[in-house]
Amino acid sequence: MTSSPGGIGARTLPLLRHPVLRRLAQAFFVAFLLMVFAFLLIRLIPGDPAMILLGDEATEEDVIAYRKLLGIDGSIPSQFGRYVSNLVRGDFGVSIRSREPVLSIVGKRLPVSLWLTVTTIVMTIGLALPLGVAAALYRRTWFGHAFQIGASVLVATPVFFSGLLLILLFAVQVNLAPIAGYHAGFPANLYYLWLPALTINFVLVPVLARILQSSIVETSAEEFVEAAIIRGTQGWRFYWRYLLRPSLAPTIAALGYFAATVVSYAVIIEIIFNLPGLGMTLVDAVRNRDYPLVQGIVFLSGLLVVGLTFMADLVNGWLDPRAQIR
Amino acid sequence: MSEIEPLLEVKDLCISFRKGGGRKLPVVDAANLSLYQRQAVGIVGESGSGKTMLCRALIGTLPRHGAGIVSGTVRFDGQELAGAPERVWRGIRGREIGYIPQSSLAGLNPVLTVETQLVESITAAGSISRQQARQEAVALLEQVQIPRAQQVLKARSHQLSGGMRQRVMIAAAIAQGPKLLIADEPTTALDVTIQREILSLITQLRRDLNMALILVSHDLAVIEEVCDDVMVMYAGASVEAGPVAALSKAPRHPYTRALRVSRVDRAVPGQDLEAIPGDAASVGSWPAGCRFWPRCALADEACRRDSQPALMPTAQQLSACIHAERMAELEQ
Repeated sequence: MTSSPGGIGARTLPLLRHPVLRRLAQAFFVAFLLMVFAFLLIRLIPGDPAMILLGDEATEEDVIAYRKLLGIDGSIPSQFGRYVSNLVRGDFGVSIRSREPVLSIVGKRLPVSLWLTVTTIVMTIGLALPLGVAAALYRRTWFGHAFQIGASVLVATPVFFSGLLLILLFAVQVNLAPIAGYHAGFPANLYYLWLPALTINFVLVPVLARILQSSIVETSAEEFVEAAIIRGTQGWRFYWRYLLRPSLAPTIAALGYFAATVVSYAVIIEIIFNLPGLGMTLVDAVRNRDYPLVQGIVFLSGLLVVGLTFMADLVNGWLDPRAQIR
Repeated sequence: MSEIEPLLEVKDLCISFRKGGGRKLPVVDAANLSLYQRQAVGIVGESGSGKTMLCRALIGTLPRHGAGIVSGTVRFDGQELAGAPERVWRGIRGREIGYIPQSSLAGLNPVLTVETQLVESITAAGSISRQQARQEAVALLEQVQIPRAQQVLKARSHQLSGGMRQRVMIAAAIAQGPKLLIADEPTTALDVTIQREILSLITQLRRDLNMALILVSHDLAVIEEVCDDVMVMYAGASVEAGPVAALSKAPRHPYTRALRVSRVDRAVPGQDLEAIPGDAASVGSWPAGCRFWPRCALADEACRRDSQPALMPTAQQLSACIHAERMAELEQ
């Protein structure tokens, strides 16, 4: 029983025949692209940090001299060379505006965003899994129809609107959460995070539960499900082994992807709930054309996303061996 | 027929799909089948004739496919199964009636090992230790002539060939020692060489384990090889039933005759195969009268006017053709 190695990569490098290593190599490649994009994207936006900092009164000479001071002089390729060689040494540069090292800014802000992401994902799994299963099993009852309608309405509701509604309900009407703000330290920080996380989940849970629902419906029509019923498989064993487990792959892949979007949702959410995370810092940095800070945040939060999708792939490979031979 | 009670007796079974708004779409209408202990009966018919739905009625999984029994009886081993509750079916499925599904290449769960699924079959019959169940799983695989059973136990569906998967499905079906094995087109998806092996395996297991067998096929040649009796289905109805030899030598229904002359293995080189004229009556658009009349050379006014004829004894078999006697003359 030999499974033939699939894909072009498998034929070129023998080491990459192992599916985990192949995924890892892909992750590194994506990280490299991310590094390039982080550098290019901010430079594609018109505007010059030196001109913004010095104001309208500055002379041409002042601007050129200041650019040199900030380390953004010279051609784009030469800037890129410096950026990469610094990055390799772990030097992300210094914020143009605050003169604080980028790593120290990110180090202060990233934990808030990370906690928001983790809280959100845990909540997503806790809500989407039972909802998706119930929506699949009871799809022909009133519950299934209510789910379809409710899910469409929730997905179409923008987070800034549902966020404000939730604040009104849980922070103003009943005092279960603060209106805004944050204090570090687990588990006390959950008090500040659960409402923002719930807000994001108003979009994520309906989408994921629907993906799970349709995979379960698809799986339940499979011949092997009928074969299991005829064999006499019953109870949790039947539901887990024959309905849920073979249906999880698309949902987990989507979860890995949505974990990534949490980072971008975070920008809006952090503004609504006044959380001192990376999102707000990034918006400010873009506005100021703070090149090193934007590069640092985009690259590091991008790495987070790459890591999350890599983990989703690993979980999938473990749950569903078919995923590995693809 | 003798006075011994048949193991399975299906009488005038009607099955309908449930459509929206309480409407029903009949898919099997007047299916009749009887089978004794250790007997092998074949069911033959074109796709859409209701063979598979009839099988599903025999293992109680019609509701999964949006269908149900409308009328008729299914007696199995002294028990009425038509309309039986799920609780009764749990005692029947696997234990009394083993089933090899149609597209059994997809019959194994892709995320589980063969061992997990076989052990499920074995433990469903009663309390037995994991160790014992494992040993029994190896024995089962050896019984279905799988070499390197230990290795196959650890394998998943995608690592096995079609023939291997089918053998594993057979092993799972006989795990609880059923009295009746239903094989729904067990060889359709397989290579011709492997088809032969699977058929001879089924025949041998049936003898070794004293099982009765229902073999469904659209291929009369396959059934002739394995079965004692045969029942021919057309458009949801049993049209002819009796000993294989009688039906193949002297069919008493024009449809059976047509199936016989269109057989590929009887073809004469250089001569066109005789195809059955017209298209098979599809579910939802069965013609009034005898359902075969639009394709039948013998059809007359009575065939068009009267309803689908019931099975009537003629020669050595039962036929649902009002011209059964004329068929006998035609054969000579």
